[in-house]
Amino acid sequence: MFRKLGLKNVFLVFATLAISVAASAKVNIDQAAPDFSLLNSNGETVSLSDYRGQYVVLEWTNHLCPYVQKHYDSDNMQSLQRKYNDKDVVWLSIISSAPGKQGYVDAQQANELSDTRNADPTHVLFDPEGEVGKQYAAKTTPHMYVIDPAGALKYAGAIDSIKSANPADIAKADNYLDLSLTALLAGEKVAQTLTPPYGCSIKYKG
Amino acid sequence: MQKPMPSWLYHLIIILLVLTSGLLNAQNLVSKTSGPHIQVSLLSNLDTIVPNKPFYVGVLLSPDDEWHTYWRNPGDSGEAPVITLSSESSITVGEVQWPVPEAIPVAHLVNYGYSGATLLMLPVAVDDKSLLGSQVQIVADLSWLVCKEDCIPGWATLALSLNVATQQRESEHVEIFERTKQRLPDSITRAGSFEVNQTHLVLQFANITDDDVFSLPLNANDVQANASGQHKWYAFPFRSDVIQHAAPQQVLHDKEFTRMVLPRSDYFDTSAVQFSWLISNGQTGFVLNTDINREQGFAQNSADERQPSEVLSFQELLAFILMAFVGGLILNLMPCVLPIISIKAIALQHTSATLLQKSAYLLGVVLCFNLFAVAIIALQASGQSIGWGFHMQEPVVIIMLAFLFTFIALLLLDALSVGSGLAGLGQGLISGNSASSHFFTGVLAVVVASPCTAPFMAVALGIALVSDPYVSLLIFNALALGFALPMTLLFASSRFSRWLPKPGAWMITFKHLLAFPMLLTVAWLVWVFLGQTNAQLQFLLISMLIVFSMLTWLYCLSHKRVVKAVYIVFAALCIALPTYLSTSISVSQAENSAVNDADHSNKAKVIPYDPVVLQSLKDDGQVILVNMTADWCITCKVNEQVALNSDRVKTALAPQNVHYMVGDWTNKNQLIFDYLSQYKRAGVPLYVVYAGNQDKQVLPQILSPNLVADAINDALKKSVDSVPKDPKTQP
Repeated sequence: MFRKLGLKNVFLVFATLAISVAASAKVNIDQAAPDFSLLNSNGETVSLSDYRGQYVVLEWTNHLCPYVQKHYDSDNMQSLQRKYNDKDVVWLSIISSAPGKQGYVDAQQANELSDTRNADPTHVLFDPEGEVGKQYAAKTTPHMYVIDPAGALKYAGAIDSIKSANPADIAKADNYLDLSLTALLAGEKVAQTLTPPYGCSIKYKG
Repeated sequence: MQKPMPSWLYHLIIILLVLTSGLLNAQNLVSKTSGPHIQVSLLSNLDTIVPNKPFYVGVLLSPDDEWHTYWRNPGDSGEAPVITLSSESSITVGEVQWPVPEAIPVAHLVNYGYSGATLLMLPVAVDDKSLLGSQVQIVADLSWLVCKEDCIPGWATLALSLNVATQQRESEHVEIFERTKQRLPDSITRAGSFEVNQTHLVLQFANITDDDVFSLPLNANDVQANASGQHKWYAFPFRSDVIQHAAPQQVLHDKEFTRMVLPRSDYFDTSAVQFSWLISNGQTGFVLNTDINREQGFAQNSADERQPSEVLSFQELLAFILMAFVGGLILNLMPCVLPIISIKAIALQHTSATLLQKSAYLLGVVLCFNLFAVAIIALQASGQSIGWGFHMQEPVVIIMLAFLFTFIALLLLDALSVGSGLAGLGQGLISGNSASSHFFTGVLAVVVASPCTAPFMAVALGIALVSDPYVSLLIFNALALGFALPMTLLFASSRFSRWLPKPGAWMITFKHLLAFPMLLTVAWLVWVFLGQTNAQLQFLLISMLIVFSMLTWLYCLSHKRVVKAVYIVFAALCIALPTYLSTSISVSQAENSAVNDADHSNKAKVIPYDPVVLQSLKDDGQVILVNMTADWCITCKVNEQVALNSDRVKTALAPQNVHYMVGDWTNKNQLIFDYLSQYKRAGVPLYVVYAGNQDKQVLPQILSPNLVADAINDALKKSVDSVPKDPKTQP
């Protein structure tokens, strides 16, 4: 009886959400991160659930966005990728730009970008329909998420604390992604689990 | 040998260098620049300014068609322009005056910004009088972001030179400054409140009425909207982590208030207690500062997400314990307590007291305080918001205390003749010398002290009530020790009792005198009682107190056992009658308020919340919509207006076997508290639809007519399915 009640509540909450907030998912810290399967830049299918047991970083990206460029031209993003590769953290760069829109690339271009920028994500994933982006309510590039080995979302939001396109601000900012991962890997709680993301809007389909 | 440079030439070169360097500087910095898809210029409304007289410096951002720049909160993406003005001269710079923005949709996201040329003005004053007759240079460090769908950031440093004189002169740009002023929010900032639930934020502010005309001129459409009271208000939050920018906003008006229902951001900061908004009708707007609705806020915090107890440092804890101790000492002087312990002190005899006798009073006090502490901790653990004197909210407790104090006053006045037994009882309980009498005095002293909250105590208790249980216990015990100390010293040592005045005839007079503070306390209790019930009941209580006094007096006069028993029965009735009536009145009061709250056409259908009635309706297989509401609850008002009073819901409530039950949590009461705790809620709104005992459905905190109607119809189907068909109607 009680379990039935709980399910019904959940359903109702979802129903209202669906009514009031069309096409917007909810970011729930400490809840299970939605699973997904996307093609990577080598044409293979990659699922989030493949990486149970490891920390996973999701990075929404668009190489033409000045806010993404701020973090790539300064080698900030790549050094984070390298730092956490060494600690067995999986890094998934997701491109939700629709074909014809800014930031959309094909597999070959994506690999070239990784080479030229010296980037080292575990995979570059394509989300041209924007479904995964909307599942995660991803709004901007960059927009960062951290998922723990049990598949629960632990951080969502901005990469750091200074909202600007100016690379000079990187050194002055608190890097939320770095702080979150450092805390999690040390077995501590994340201090700031949710921060408003900043950057370019994701160039979704439609 | 080289000829030295003539000194006049040397000086001339220096002077030229100094003169040209200023000029060169000014020429290096221009007042206009352009980036991809945008032109940026630095302007002023004056070209000649007067020292200490404010003027405006503005940054004009002119993006290409279809490109836009951003407001202070850019919305889902983007970045607000940053302007930093400086000067080598001393200047004072105010804040950026942001014109009313528009909501710019980008795919399924929304940005707040400006699609046309926009002037961001800052008030500036030049403080330096020595500049008179010369020029002041104002330098602007700028960064901006211009977007269509793609975004391009830009940076520039621009400068503007203005003449300084005793007479100001307008510049050629004065018109755009005047036009921009029309687009600024109203100069009056308004205040409102907000409430948060799991999904939404609800704002409430007093209606903007026709008399309350904006200091800004309205265009024809606005005037029309004003006349019909139908503004299309839109709330722009100053912070980007408050609402879902892309979600539709619902606006409601009633006679007094405008309320806005806004889906809350995924990044919502639940610790925030204050938000600022720009409320706009598209043309103009005003700034609204909202504070959290404390009633709701407290309830939310205590249940949904219990805030971690504040960790007290050792010093703080020590300070609070000391305060509680001093507060306890001061409590001894309270008008309700002093008489009781005075009698005790005066009657004290030191004839070889045992240790038990010496410590009984202390034990009584400490035990009683600990019982209070445990009760408060237990109630708090169940999520109730209570404080010291929480029992004073119960009319029954007030009645009992009123009778107790009256009885004590009678004792003090010696109205009970000696040898009547009653007097002996009183004597024994208060002024006797046995250990149990000391113990009872301690208990009695705590009971009568409880309504008197000494100012010292309030803080310490406040801390205790929001801290860990052990802190509460520590503080309560410090209070108990402080409270018991003076009397315990008297009991324990004859040295202290020697300080007391010598016994004598004055003692009788003093005892009589002490009866009057007691009676004063009764008067106060009766006044408190009025607040909980009504004037008729108050009159009844006063009458019963007098009859009770008379019966007590009669009891002492009488010598026959049967007659005495009759008096006792009547005295008990005196206490029982107001007790009984006051418990039934609270129900009928709830009835009144519940009926008042509901819509008139629903009046006949509204049942005030009563757990017994609810259970019997459920047992009958009826469908019941339970609505727990409160006058101060903004979300409740919204739901009533949007859903509960809608025709759809009224139709759904119409069938005979559908019932609408309303509980009013405005003056928190135990029945509703129990109901809310069943659903692990500490506050309202709470909506539950029952299909008999078959099913129940908790509705979300933000309702829509369809949602409520569907839940009722769903419940109807379930209850019909489950109720066995009446055999007579079977074919």
